[in-house]
Amino acid sequence: MTNSNQTTARKPGIPAEQKPVPLALTARISTLASNQSTILIGVMVLLIVVFSVLEPKFFSAPTASNILTDWGSVVLIAVGQTFVVISGGIDLSVGAIIGLSGVVSAWTMANVLKVDQTVSGADASGPLLIGTLVSVGVGLLVGLTNAFLINKLRIVPFIATLSTMGAALGLSVIISSGQPIGSANNFSLIAAMDPKTNPLSWALIVVIVVVTIAGLFLHKARFGLYTYAIGSNTFAARGAGINVERHLTLVYALSGALAGLAGMYVYLRLGAGSPSSGTGRELDAIAAVVIGGASLMGGIGRIWGTVLGALILFTVQSGLIMVGVAPDWKKVVVAILIAAAVAAQTLQSKNGRK
Amino acid sequence: MTGEVIYEVKNVSKRYGSVVALDGASLKLHAGEVLGLVGDNGAGKSTLVKVLSGAHQPNGGKIYLDGVERTWGSPREALEAGVETLYQDSGLAPHLTVSQNVFLGREKTVKGIFGKMGFLARKEMEHDAHEDLERVGIAVPASDRPVSQLSGGQRQAVAIGRAVAWARRVIILDEPTNHLGARQAGEVLQVVRAAKAKGLGVIFISHTLPHVLEVTDRVVVLRLGKIVMDAPTSEFDGDRLIGVLTGTIQTVRVEGD
Repeated sequence: MTNSNQTTARKPGIPAEQKPVPLALTARISTLASNQSTILIGVMVLLIVVFSVLEPKFFSAPTASNILTDWGSVVLIAVGQTFVVISGGIDLSVGAIIGLSGVVSAWTMANVLKVDQTVSGADASGPLLIGTLVSVGVGLLVGLTNAFLINKLRIVPFIATLSTMGAALGLSVIISSGQPIGSANNFSLIAAMDPKTNPLSWALIVVIVVVTIAGLFLHKARFGLYTYAIGSNTFAARGAGINVERHLTLVYALSGALAGLAGMYVYLRLGAGSPSSGTGRELDAIAAVVIGGASLMGGIGRIWGTVLGALILFTVQSGLIMVGVAPDWKKVVVAILIAAAVAAQTLQSKNGRK
Repeated sequence: MTGEVIYEVKNVSKRYGSVVALDGASLKLHAGEVLGLVGDNGAGKSTLVKVLSGAHQPNGGKIYLDGVERTWGSPREALEAGVETLYQDSGLAPHLTVSQNVFLGREKTVKGIFGKMGFLARKEMEHDAHEDLERVGIAVPASDRPVSQLSGGQRQAVAIGRAVAWARRVIILDEPTNHLGARQAGEVLQVVRAAKAKGLGVIFISHTLPHVLEVTDRVVVLRLGKIVMDAPTSEFDGDRLIGVLTGTIQTVRVEGD
């Protein structure tokens, strides 16, 4: 077992009984088959085939566009949730942030920037940009509040984010008096959000770019590595000199900011900031993350899995409606999906342990 | 027998509420020396380790590294000053690969603007991690494998290899041979000798007294928060060490000052 030959250039002395770095072909195939994203793509293809057979209209551009548009709002918070879950936490406040940031942003645009129905076209882009910044800022503030509760007051993430969820929901109702704040119906940019007229809207492109950048930071950069390390073994992370509290602050801030961006996305879709526009979305986000293969115990998860998980979620929802299943069944099917995903994960890790 | 004093604590105390965990402990560690730290459960070993590694701040007493008085605000500060600690059973993140663990907290980034944004030089670290571990006498499988796929012995070897590879002055090993088979424990002791040969000061904390007797140059015995004996390992055998540990043998003298 001792080191044999220090001077052999690139790959020094791998012990003979160990498997060399390139895996054998059979091992590769079995790795691929047990690979989470392969399974997810398989499920996705299966869903598309089944729904298309049951309802030929399902296989069409408008359906795809509808699914993608729904996906856009949830994938943003699901990506933030992926970071949080990998770090070993949970963020229940993201749905409420969508409502609050949408309301505050709409209020700012209507009352401070004096945007009304007469503003359209290029005149709208300035106010919308400011509105986006406001929306992201609101989400960031809630995220920082979460971090404060978790790091300084030592409240477990579940309870900390549950309280900010309630507070954000309440605030958005107070600010809006419970009514959607509109005034933006004529914006050409909003027309561009309508999936019927524009399958790949600007907002969706922004979402895809943001998700891609987040994925790069999670999988290729130090930020992601520390997120995994903290979720995997906080003690080891601290021992390695990582400032755990600071990093978690950044993670919850990121989740909040992405929820704020999602708030703007939903605002653009509705043409109004509505206090209830994000209610329940946090559960969609958690579902997407779990279906995507992340572990609520921390340390495990991929952006690509979350992206596919969210896509599967909305494909199922949209498909069920199109084949004529009563909408109430949607929740049951989603619940089954989550249970199946978690069960598959548990079985997989048992096999991996052996 | 060994080099100059590199790490020293003088009269350190630590209280948790009304419990005195450490009561005026002093010890000196020389370069190229392996110092055994033993004591029964609750004797104050882990408290002393936490003070030495910067995880806890003592209520009283002084810490010197290379003759300069230091206070550690965090483990990171001790780490950056060259004091490396391997904690019992918790040195590694199981979901990360071998190389990610070896480089955790000291990652190499790619060149240019992407490096400034924290993008990692993965291939380079995988290559270097392998070399670093080999240099301290540890043969591990491919460094791109998650640590959770390694055996307990391999994990411990990686954890110690990591600490020895990075330590510049002092390395603190808390129960490094715990839960290991005889052969694996032997490898760990070999790594301890490699660290010693490298000129590091090694603090070796263990319940496994034969390992202490085998690898250390000097033994410090803690009982009820006090250092009750500090003597060359040659003055001990197993029975005597147990006697001092449990207090059935009254200590004759305390070396050091």
